Amino acid sequence: MSNTSSPWTQPAPQTTGQTTPPGTPPGTTWAPEPRPTRPVYDGRLGELYAIYLRHLVLMLVTLGWSRFWGRTNIRRYVWSHLAVLGDRFEYRGRGRELLIGFLLALLMIAVWIGLMWLVWRYVFHERPAASFGMFDLFSLSVALIGFPLAYVGHYAGLRYKLSRTRWRGIRCGMAGSAWSYGALATGLHFANATTAYLLTPLVSVNLARPRISNARVGTLPFLFAGRAGDIYGRYIGYYFLNILAWVAAGIAVFAAVGGTIESLGISSDDFLKLLSNPSLNTVLLILVLAFAAYIVFGLLILPLRCWWQAYLLRYLVTHSRAGNVLFTTALTTRQMWGFLVLNYLIILLTLGIGWPLVMHRTMKLISAQLWIYGEPNGQEIRQPTDRGPGYGEGLLDMFDVSGV
Amino acid sequence: MSIRYYDGETAEVHPVAVRVTTNELVIYRPAGTEVVARWPLGEVAVLGDTQHEVVPPVVRRGSDARLIIEDSRVRSNLASLVPALQPLVPQPVAVGRRIAVFSATIVALVGVFWGVLDYGTEYAVPFLPNSWQEQLGETVLDDLLADKEECEGTAGLAAINRLANDLAQEAGYPHPITVHIVEGGPVNAFTLPGGILVFYSDLITQAKDSSQVAGVVAHEIGHVVHYHPTKGLVRAYGMDLLLKLVSGGYSEMMSTVGGGGSLLLALRNGRAAEREADATGVDLLERRGLRADGVSTFFQQLMEKEPKDAAAAAGIWSSHPPTAERIEATKRPTTGRPAFSNAEWQALLNVCK
Repeated sequence: MSNTSSPWTQPAPQTTGQTTPPGTPPGTTWAPEPRPTRPVYDGRLGELYAIYLRHLVLMLVTLGWSRFWGRTNIRRYVWSHLAVLGDRFEYRGRGRELLIGFLLALLMIAVWIGLMWLVWRYVFHERPAASFGMFDLFSLSVALIGFPLAYVGHYAGLRYKLSRTRWRGIRCGMAGSAWSYGALATGLHFANATTAYLLTPLVSVNLARPRISNARVGTLPFLFAGRAGDIYGRYIGYYFLNILAWVAAGIAVFAAVGGTIESLGISSDDFLKLLSNPSLNTVLLILVLAFAAYIVFGLLILPLRCWWQAYLLRYLVTHSRAGNVLFTTALTTRQMWGFLVLNYLIILLTLGIGWPLVMHRTMKLISAQLWIYGEPNGQEIRQPTDRGPGYGEGLLDMFDVSGV
Repeated sequence: MSIRYYDGETAEVHPVAVRVTTNELVIYRPAGTEVVARWPLGEVAVLGDTQHEVVPPVVRRGSDARLIIEDSRVRSNLASLVPALQPLVPQPVAVGRRIAVFSATIVALVGVFWGVLDYGTEYAVPFLPNSWQEQLGETVLDDLLADKEECEGTAGLAAINRLANDLAQEAGYPHPITVHIVEGGPVNAFTLPGGILVFYSDLITQAKDSSQVAGVVAHEIGHVVHYHPTKGLVRAYGMDLLLKLVSGGYSEMMSTVGGGGSLLLALRNGRAAEREADATGVDLLERRGLRADGVSTFFQQLMEKEPKDAAAAAGIWSSHPPTAERIEATKRPTTGRPAFSNAEWQALLNVCK
């Protein structure tokens, strides 16, 4: 990590109105507040479950149309139980704003279908190739626009959520263009995929920058001082270790499965027969084998990924600031495993019902692992004039699995 | 500090105290008498509720300023003095009981949804307008036949359409049937919503005699008169929706696992539908006095070509029942009139030429 890019060694920008502590000679390095604080999350799992299950009941009764209001209620609960520097967050979004966002996205898709129909009728003259149908054209075009639109939706969704979030009565917000972000994200991901994912640090840092540095609390902007060059060394190490781990895991699983089948004296025909008419024992055996394969991959691949992800998150957090408020985290690989892998397993094994537990664990993790140095000068953070978008998250709802 | 005042213009926190007069809520600094704000009681409101928010903010309508009262006793006192602040009073919630009631309701609703989907479609689908079903079938047909050549022999098409419509009328099916013949293989035929039948010409040319083709036509008419294709689509869509609803739409993996489950359900329904179509097909041929052994001899021919019964081997993953079982169930004597006249059969054999 390069010291020159760390906000710890940079003076706070004057635009935020940050005042140098008394006695600090002008031009000298600013020293952060020595006593850090952490966010506090005091939500209860039982209460969150009661809200979530009510949401599921209404989802079933309304065939999913209540989701906009359910999502809003869950956010109100979670936001209001999270406090920074003793002040709780507020979520003031409305279900109908999400509904309008969804309907507008639906309208956009309807217009797109109409446009594709015109293209089909007047450009392709109904059948350019024997195997190319109207549905193929439509599916292809939706796949093509869906990819960038999901990124646009991510950014616009973040803008909506922030604009409905208040801290000390002050609205948060997000500057910048969602379309530019969508174009940037599409280009970077495409470039990354075509270079065997060797550009990942560049993608991570350049996509984090607009999301962090465009975020605001009132008139106080966040700043991001990260550079891809700082994290390339660690990434290259991870990249090659990952390849080695896949090879080792592949060999181990192949040997274990092959060895088990052989030692049981089962021919391939018998094996197929077992699969087609599975008895309870076969199902259990398959589950045990799947679990064993998971353990092998879990031991070799996932910790490595969590090691990298924990490092990346630590880097992004420590290189972000808001005026004279600095952030840091000492999130470990093990904690990242709990966040990425265990949470995923909880959702999977509970068929989705474990979602509130995952949310609760995540909020607890944030409150335990995010350290905040310094305190903003409340008088200098003003209410923004911009009220944010009037509706939200339609694209996110349409092209992405959108959580809270 | 039990009460915080945010002025709505800056992020400064003011520790305050409040008192209620006859027509105002007076917010003042506790150390001294400086009044920070006076809110007319008619303009005071509470945002949110205590079920979702720990401390619902008290606001003056039309302003961004807020009063945050952490102490629940102070909140209760204020609410007793100002009716508009009633939502501030924490409502005791029996969380355990709520979870139990909602869980039981979810299980019951999933059961009802499943029942409506599995059994409701059985009765509701025939009432769907036939024009919708036809439109759906034609859209799928266009896509399926995009790179295929259709056979256009007028007399052959007339013959197979005549038999298909006769059998459908015999079953009391009130809509017309359209049969399409596609050049080439595999040896197969299928049915689309809206009474659309698609036959591959290899099935016709490789048939031992006309009774086998008639048997397959009758089997497909069995699917049509029981509305199997539309029911299958409705059930698949409904299962997909149910999975999305109960998982809250939060897990892609859940959809994959659930997708596997709904596929197995569709295949189970598929096997039941095949048995029903076999039985109906043979019954329709017999009711019209036609030779009804074609269904079983067609399956026998398939078995001779491929002795290993793929459907039996695939077990629960198969969309069709084991072929041996189907032969046994559809065995009939060779008595009865031929379903096609000689001229019709010759025209059908030459339908692609």
